[in-house]
Amino acid sequence: MPGDVISRFASVRLGTRGTQQKEHGFGQVNGHHGEILQGIFPDDAGRLHRGLVTLPCNIVSSTAVFRPAPGNLVTVPDDKLKAAEAARLTLDSLGLHDQGGHLTVESTIPVGLGMGSSTADVVAAIRAVADAHGAALGADEVARLAVRAETASDSIMHGDLAVLFAQREGNVLEHLGPALPPLEVLSVNTAPGALVDTVKQPPADYDEWEIQAFRPLRGMLRRAIRIGDAALLGRVATASARISQRHLPKPAFEEINAIATSAGALGIQVAHSGTVVGLLFDPRNPATVRRVAEAAAKLDDIGLPPALHFRTDAAEVRHVA
Amino acid sequence: MSLEMTMSQPLSRESRGFPDYELPRLVRLTDNLHGAAFFLMKLLPARHMLDRAAADGRLKPGGTICETTSGTFGLALAMLAAVRGYRLILVSDPAIDEHLHKRLLELGVTLEIVETPYEIGGFQTARLDRLRAALEANPGSFCPSQYGNADNPRAYAEVAEQIAERLGHVDCLVGTVGSGGSMSGIARFLRHLNPDLHVIGVDTPNSVVFGQPDGKRLLRGLGNSLVPPNVDHRQFDEVHWVGAAEAFLATRRLHQHHALYQGGTSGAAYLVADWWARTHPDRKVVTLFPDEGHRYVATIYNDDWLAALPGWTGVLPEAPQPVAHPSDVRPSWSSFRWDRRMLDEVLAAGTPVAHDLAEAA
Repeated sequence: MPGDVISRFASVRLGTRGTQQKEHGFGQVNGHHGEILQGIFPDDAGRLHRGLVTLPCNIVSSTAVFRPAPGNLVTVPDDKLKAAEAARLTLDSLGLHDQGGHLTVESTIPVGLGMGSSTADVVAAIRAVADAHGAALGADEVARLAVRAETASDSIMHGDLAVLFAQREGNVLEHLGPALPPLEVLSVNTAPGALVDTVKQPPADYDEWEIQAFRPLRGMLRRAIRIGDAALLGRVATASARISQRHLPKPAFEEINAIATSAGALGIQVAHSGTVVGLLFDPRNPATVRRVAEAAAKLDDIGLPPALHFRTDAAEVRHVA
Repeated sequence: MSLEMTMSQPLSRESRGFPDYELPRLVRLTDNLHGAAFFLMKLLPARHMLDRAAADGRLKPGGTICETTSGTFGLALAMLAAVRGYRLILVSDPAIDEHLHKRLLELGVTLEIVETPYEIGGFQTARLDRLRAALEANPGSFCPSQYGNADNPRAYAEVAEQIAERLGHVDCLVGTVGSGGSMSGIARFLRHLNPDLHVIGVDTPNSVVFGQPDGKRLLRGLGNSLVPPNVDHRQFDEVHWVGAAEAFLATRRLHQHHALYQGGTSGAAYLVADWWARTHPDRKVVTLFPDEGHRYVATIYNDDWLAALPGWTGVLPEAPQPVAHPSDVRPSWSSFRWDRRMLDEVLAAGTPVAHDLAEAA
């Protein structure tokens, strides 16, 4: 009988979420390096949403371990308030309102640069709590919890999937493809020492031209992903960075852009609510090794030595010559 | 209205339209030349202007729209007014096409034909006066003002999106200029993705848009007797002036060679774009074809009518004649290096013709 099947299914589902408690659960998620594109985008019905497309950075990550226990929820370190809030929300969503436990969060993601440290802690915590209770949460569910915990959240819970993500709503506006075309990124922190509170920042107040200008950027991004064209991706990123420059200007933006151009980079990319700028290169081009070295030397000359050098399709750190 | 308010607004109840008719069909004409063929290009800016006005309250549900036009912008407004339940008052003059006139009436438009031109300012000023009177007689009515409304060029982001998604990187954009909306809009959007985009505006002799003295023009749908604020002159690298006879012949060529049945402005754009694409075979060119050919069965697509045109030779020029100043433009195809300057700058300085256009580009 249909009703029977449904209720049996429901109870199995609840069972996997609620009863298979482990001694501890584990959660991990990679950071990112800002965005390829961030702006305002219409959904299918024409309604506008804030949205972004993240540039993954798989060489940094947050890790969380959760040990369920009755009573209070204790978080270490105790200043990871967002992660603690996310753990609480996750327990509540599993119906475990009286459950507490011990949450430990560790991260290699630099804080305040716009590389997703806050969301990574939150997502790792959510995954650890879910894992401790044998619950498999989908990316959309994790995203909804993350947005509730921290108002605006990055799309790292989707991993390498290329998605246009509504960061204040936690849902995907458009699935763009399995991954971005691979990029080699030379990373510069344009404001060393100056921490940006990426969460407290007011959202950019784009003007009417900019709201429209995001449309062709999205169009070119679709093509870049569909045909795997890293050069088009570089154009989209640079155009988005230019708009961002009117709202959260990066010091030495023009100098960095000029270095990127003269070194033969595909373009530049910024953390739209942070301080890092990435010079984008094509990892499939043999000239990239030379070009990256040339750009790194020039960045060094203007007092902005690159802090990081990575490929988006490999979890491997490269050291700048 | 703040951005957050705009975003949180419920979608307009007056949102019916023709989304699948708004965007062009992209047709590859040669290895490096792509045509963007519109059904009726003005549908897109008309819809966007009405959407924005409805969103911020300038246009009320069931409200009245007043505009002066004798062309396709009026038709686009009439189509939208018909399906969205607006009253539309259009001011025109006796030069309005007979079939367009009938079609507007069928769509429920109140058509006010100004019968006598003013001694100073001609029909244009007389029509503007009649428009002002219509706006005063209908308090709360909305005037889209396609020549000055910034939502006109901004509407074309959707065409830029389509071009970017379908064609990727584009080197050169060619199109006719009348209100300034399509070319200024698309050029600025595409240039944001490619600062080196080469933009060619196509005008016609006796149009003041790019600095010719005003005069009678046989080729309609491009050019103007005033300089619309929506023309952003700094977007243009090159300007060409195409005469009626060669534009019509090129319109026929576009049909004969590429099976695209378009109007006369499309022919003017095709003439220039085809030349540039031939002389720059390694560059990707996109050109805009603003409307279809059905309205021109008795004229452009009629050999007898063409043969009776003044200056008709039946031969298409191979290349434009470069000129050093917009005032040097002849009745037939001329070209000029605009170099992304303001109109005043260009008129004061011109450009030496020693530069070969093809090489300079």
